[in-house]
Amino acid sequence: MGDILHVLDMLAWFPENISTYGAELDNLFAIIYWVSVAIFFLTFGILGYLLVKYRYSPDRKGYNYHGNNLVEVTWTILPTFLFAAIGLYSDDIWERTKYSKRVPQADVEIIVLGKTFGWTFLYPGSDGKFGRNAYTDRTARHLMSTTNIFGIDSTDPTGMDDFTTENQFRVPVNSNIVVRGSSIDVLHSFFLPHARVKQDVVPGTWMNIWFNLFKTGDYELACAELCGGGHYSMRAEYKVVSMADYDTWLDKKNAEAKAARSPQSLPAAPADTVAVASH
Amino acid sequence: MSTATLPSTETEAHTHEHHHELPWYRKYVFSTDHKVISKQFMLSSLFFLFIGGAFALFIRWQLAYPGTKIPLVGSILPATWVTEPGSGIITPEFYAQLLTMHGSIMIFFVVIPLALGMFGNFCIPLMIGTDDMALPRLNMWSFWLVPPAGLIMMAGFFTETGYATAGWTSYPPLSASIQLPTFTISGQTLWLISVFLVGFSSIMGSVNYVTTVLNKRAKGMKLFDMPLTVWALFITAIMAVLGTPVLAAGLAMLFMDNFLHTSFFLPDNLVTNSKYFGGGQPVLFQHVFWFYSHPAVYIMILPLMGIVSDVLATFSRKPVYGYKAMVFAIAGIAFLGFIVWGHHMFQSGMNPLLGTTFMLSTIVIAVPSSIKVFNWLGTLWRGNIKFTSAMLNALAFVSMFIIGGLSGVFMASAPVDIYIHDTYFIVAHIHYVLFGGSLFGIFAGIYYWYPKMFGKMLNEAWGRKHFYWTFVTFNLTFFPMHILGVGGHMRRIYDPNVYDFLKGLGGINEFITIAAITLGFSQLFLISNILWSMKFGKKAPRNPWHANTLEWAAPEHPGHGNFDMDITVYRGPYEFSVPGRELDYWPQWEQGEAISAHHNTVAVPIENETRTFGAH
Repeated sequence: MGDILHVLDMLAWFPENISTYGAELDNLFAIIYWVSVAIFFLTFGILGYLLVKYRYSPDRKGYNYHGNNLVEVTWTILPTFLFAAIGLYSDDIWERTKYSKRVPQADVEIIVLGKTFGWTFLYPGSDGKFGRNAYTDRTARHLMSTTNIFGIDSTDPTGMDDFTTENQFRVPVNSNIVVRGSSIDVLHSFFLPHARVKQDVVPGTWMNIWFNLFKTGDYELACAELCGGGHYSMRAEYKVVSMADYDTWLDKKNAEAKAARSPQSLPAAPADTVAVASH
Repeated sequence: MSTATLPSTETEAHTHEHHHELPWYRKYVFSTDHKVISKQFMLSSLFFLFIGGAFALFIRWQLAYPGTKIPLVGSILPATWVTEPGSGIITPEFYAQLLTMHGSIMIFFVVIPLALGMFGNFCIPLMIGTDDMALPRLNMWSFWLVPPAGLIMMAGFFTETGYATAGWTSYPPLSASIQLPTFTISGQTLWLISVFLVGFSSIMGSVNYVTTVLNKRAKGMKLFDMPLTVWALFITAIMAVLGTPVLAAGLAMLFMDNFLHTSFFLPDNLVTNSKYFGGGQPVLFQHVFWFYSHPAVYIMILPLMGIVSDVLATFSRKPVYGYKAMVFAIAGIAFLGFIVWGHHMFQSGMNPLLGTTFMLSTIVIAVPSSIKVFNWLGTLWRGNIKFTSAMLNALAFVSMFIIGGLSGVFMASAPVDIYIHDTYFIVAHIHYVLFGGSLFGIFAGIYYWYPKMFGKMLNEAWGRKHFYWTFVTFNLTFFPMHILGVGGHMRRIYDPNVYDFLKGLGGINEFITIAAITLGFSQLFLISNILWSMKFGKKAPRNPWHANTLEWAAPEHPGHGNFDMDITVYRGPYEFSVPGRELDYWPQWEQGEAISAHHNTVAVPIENETRTFGAH
């Protein structure tokens, strides 16, 4: 019996929410859900009543009645107010979660690129600043290639500590995370079910994705936009960790990144010659 | 000339409706008779319904039992569909082809041809009391583009890459196939050609419907004397004429990207070994596509709303409640349908400011939709309801449309859509509207007009069996999909077990699949009923449902030219149970005086001048 009730209670099926605005979104879902349940029982109740009460009987005739304008106006205006209220309330939340100008000051900024079939993340390192790359500088976009999908200009010293991760990323808890997302081939969609985040990433454009997570743990990132046969396998994992753990991890990664680059004591060849022509 | 009475014999009709005997191929194949064309649409669509349905069952099997052999047919599947020959396990690539083909076939070759092609052709000339369409040859072509288009789409099987794989929405860059050399015909190329052709079929048909409704109505028939079926088809046709050319433009551009490797939709700086890109904008295609395809959603349901209104009125023996409000609601939905396309793109990277606009316009659509639902309920109120197969299906339409409409409010609200976008919640919604809505409406229409189409009655007992099985298994299949969606289950994924957060949903997936298989097999009742009754059905009387509209004035199985008498229209289409009349219906073509009082029509006996008001 408990299982049956569980099936009927749709709200119980959400994955656990871990993001600050997620509660607001879930709450709005619940409001619309209960309004819908009410309308459902109202209309189905009326429908059932009419079907039983006015079922065929040979000694009754139908009633020749063409309608009433007052009634029409009433059932036009009432839903208008109801739905307008839902619309306006939704818009308030929409503005706060998605409008570009409402993206908060970033505590941690990450760049993500989708590709068939996986996700690559670029961190700015412990200086918190990205070097010259396809996101920070439009003119660096022509550096993007299969070996350097972020178009990182290796001559820029600010970028010396920038490092990438494949199919996994880490964020600190209780911080504003701003993700600049794009794709290198087809459309993908950056979907964090537990964080209630979803944003398509479009090649050629950078999307602003932000969230603030209040619970540590291991969670999943999925692609939500059909991107080919391997679409289903385009999965990544992420860890939400305490700020201290995050800093430790960052330092470790920084050291790795620097070690990887130090043997190249010579400055890289001029950018234009390593670039893969884009036209 | 008296037109009010039926001519005494059939032979009298042939004196003024004379036609030369046509060769068989002009009668049954390249016919210009709207009724034959309608049946052709019906047969071709039912054929495609079978294929699209079979594809859906493959999808369901994979989701419920990922990586297991498909039963029965698994071992005979073509080698390109399965992981290794004879394994019976489908590949992820073929899975993407399946979902693409399922969606495309159901939308472009089943629901639109049935709603617009079949009912448009059959109902419009008969219900406005004319002999045929205004442009019969154009009409013939509108059908004869469909089978070649269908074959072209299915021919994707023979290309190296198989069927199209980019989903029925076919978003570039994926659909532009830039990895293939220029001038390669892939499944996607054929898909584009095919949809382009069905688009033309729709335009030709629709131009014809608009012309016919405006020019060929029977004597005395004002626009507001038309049944709601004709109104709905008329408004839908206008939408199709305005929307489809835009889709054609989008498809043409995408075809050039795909086949000639231009770059309308391909941006700079893709990281790929192809060199065919640069300067385009992928989201542009989504705008162009949805500018047509959102109205297309209404093209698929508005005609059925008209049909359901007629069926409800006839079997409740009551006028449609608020006839004019119903017409205005249809027109309102049609108009709003053109300004809401962006709600498919809330998460697409479109400026979120536009999200506000599209959210508010979308939510407004709930208003005309609720007007329609309330008026349908009003029609049942104080009726005398007969539960025929047609009526049951019409009631299913109303109730499933309520659920589909309510689930629409969730995704209309942009912030809620963030989470449920591209999940099974959307899949549940579209099936509640297109299966629960359109397809039940189509069933209602088939049960209602079959007697006039084929001159035979359908078997009622089988009709009921078909209805109950379909209704129950439909809900068992599609309602749990809402739960999958709330659980975060993405649509179009090959194997949900890859994700930890979807682990708890396996049981629901299995349940849905079993229900879906039953739902598929329930349709055998309908198919066998249609085929069996064509030959062995009871002969249909001229007006089996005691309805008022003009198609029932035509002979039992009308030939080319439709009517065996001149038609004059004296009143609106829904004068049921008029006080002062012995019969509980009053056909539009029957002469008689009436007055209107307090929202009621009262018949006035012609022989005595005393005006009796019916009690109400």
